[in-house]
Amino acid sequence: MSHPDDMEHVFGADKKLGDVIRRDEILPLLERAAAHGNILLSVIDADGNVIASSGKSPEIDFITERHEILLEGEPAGAIIARGDAEDAERLRDTVGIIHAALTVIISSNMKRVLTTDLHTSVVRQSYTELIETNRRLAVSESKYRELAGTLERMVEDRTRELELAHTRLLQQEKMASIGQLAAGVAHEINNPMGFITSNINTLGRYAGKMREMLSSYRDLSSHGPSGAEREYIEKRWHSLKIEHIFADIDDLVHQSLEGAERVKKIVSDLKGFSHIDDGEEISIDLNAEIDRTLNVLAHEIPPDAEIVRQYGAVHGFRCNPALLCQVFLNIILNAAQARGAGLKLVVNTAEDGDGRIVITITDNGPGIPPSIIARVFDPFFTTKDVGAGTGMGLAVAYDVINRYGGEIGVDSEPGMGTTFTIRLPASVSKS
Amino acid sequence: MTVIEFDDIDNRMVLKLVYYGPALSGKTTNLLRLHDILTAEGRGDLMVLDTKDDRTIFFDLLPFFMVAPGGLRIKVKVYTVPGQVRHDATRKAVLQRADGVAFIADSRTAEMANNFESFENLEKNLAFVGLDIAAVPLVLQFNKRDMADIQPEDEIRKTWSPTGIPVVMASALEGWGVVETFRALAGMVYDAVDRRYSLKEAQGLDKEMFVENLSHRSEDNSGDSRGGS
Repeated sequence: MSHPDDMEHVFGADKKLGDVIRRDEILPLLERAAAHGNILLSVIDADGNVIASSGKSPEIDFITERHEILLEGEPAGAIIARGDAEDAERLRDTVGIIHAALTVIISSNMKRVLTTDLHTSVVRQSYTELIETNRRLAVSESKYRELAGTLERMVEDRTRELELAHTRLLQQEKMASIGQLAAGVAHEINNPMGFITSNINTLGRYAGKMREMLSSYRDLSSHGPSGAEREYIEKRWHSLKIEHIFADIDDLVHQSLEGAERVKKIVSDLKGFSHIDDGEEISIDLNAEIDRTLNVLAHEIPPDAEIVRQYGAVHGFRCNPALLCQVFLNIILNAAQARGAGLKLVVNTAEDGDGRIVITITDNGPGIPPSIIARVFDPFFTTKDVGAGTGMGLAVAYDVINRYGGEIGVDSEPGMGTTFTIRLPASVSKS
Repeated sequence: MTVIEFDDIDNRMVLKLVYYGPALSGKTTNLLRLHDILTAEGRGDLMVLDTKDDRTIFFDLLPFFMVAPGGLRIKVKVYTVPGQVRHDATRKAVLQRADGVAFIADSRTAEMANNFESFENLEKNLAFVGLDIAAVPLVLQFNKRDMADIQPEDEIRKTWSPTGIPVVMASALEGWGVVETFRALAGMVYDAVDRRYSLKEAQGLDKEMFVENLSHRSEDNSGDSRGGS
């Protein structure tokens, strides 16, 4: 609310005669009246200041005629006339006429002045009110704008949280089904692999025995009955390449056993990766987990890829291994997909001065353009074709590392490759 | 209490009285009657700014002038405000620094709601210009007592006596009650001004003299003689 003192214009302020009549308004009147004869006509205000004056006073034998001018009933000035003493009557009449004319002018001007006065007052008052209204509107607008801004941010934050939670749920479900699948597959593969390994071992042993037996026969025949039979046996021995077979059987059995061993290892890695047995947090050896991830990804990594493992001694880290494997998997998979032939992947693990584990994974791929590098951890952000990538990989990695109180960052120079750096805290560990 | 102008150096004082009330309750008629009844000595002409084309500007002014024995020149300006609801800005402007208010109510029962609405508007606008209705000298006139279907006087007095606001019955049309209202207001304004500026002690102007000066009836009661000449 505006205070009346703020309004410098107060309606009804008192007026002086000079405020109501102007010199150039009454001068023609005085000039006409003073045109004939020796007469000086003046209009003065209450303080004696001359508002207008005309004519010439006689030097001698003059008289003065004075007539008060009233403004709102109050004496506000006077008409003063000087003229020849012998013309006193004419002088009085002149002053009377001027007074009558002035009264009309004053009355009409007064109305105009008052009207203007009120108008000014009303306009200023309205203006003051508008300014005040405007100020209040501005205040409330900024309040609402701020609220809207905060709301938008809150909605964005909440949306991000929900997206991440959803991602985690999806990921957990995915891991759970992979785990179930892996458990089933592992079981199904392990059983036949058991007897395959066992049988190959037995077969190897049998083959050895048969070789011994054949060798015994061959020794016997060398001292044998006739030269023709002996020749025949030697011929068969050579044509059937028994010597070569003897040498090869060991290799075959050995390779088969190696293959079977590899199958067992893959199955075990798969089991370990999905961690079907333990959903809870355990202390893990990060170097071993990275190796495990690299094994699982063997078929995704180009055959000619060079993988450099620069493993340092790092303390055990307490976490859900499945989740951490997911982080390594997503980063390594990206690197593998970013460059086909000639991929060089350097995995470095170390502890920094504060006991934090620092893992860097560097590739020599095409790099990430600066324009999008800030967004690579955003959920659903992907540069792959529609349907090819979910845009969730690095988001999950970010989420997991964050959850364990760590940091994940990315450095990249287009054409030179990309380095992901993961820092895991020292405190959450050592069991 | 705000005297709109008090000039120590010039030794003059300007007081502002405002006739307030709902539309067509007889505010202008009150001023016309005062102009007719009171002597032309020491008052100016009634200025009626009845400008139909300009709807914002609509008020009347009756000025009075007196000189206290101590030499203080006192001008009293009596204004009416436009009663129509839409002229609220004009009412606020006229109410600025008012020294006293005469509220002219319409006695007809059909107008009761309008009276109350206008009175509320007075209270609100006084607050707007920084005046407290409880502190401003205020007289209530129930006009149009000559008409039929009016609120009975005892009922009016019963309603208003608890407020302590002086109530005057009048018929501006017939010319009675008008001067009484003006005198009652003038008396209250004198008391308020005297408390602050010691009119009696410093200027030798007592209440009776002040009221009498303002409301001196003309001898012939014929009214419209030209002021001052």
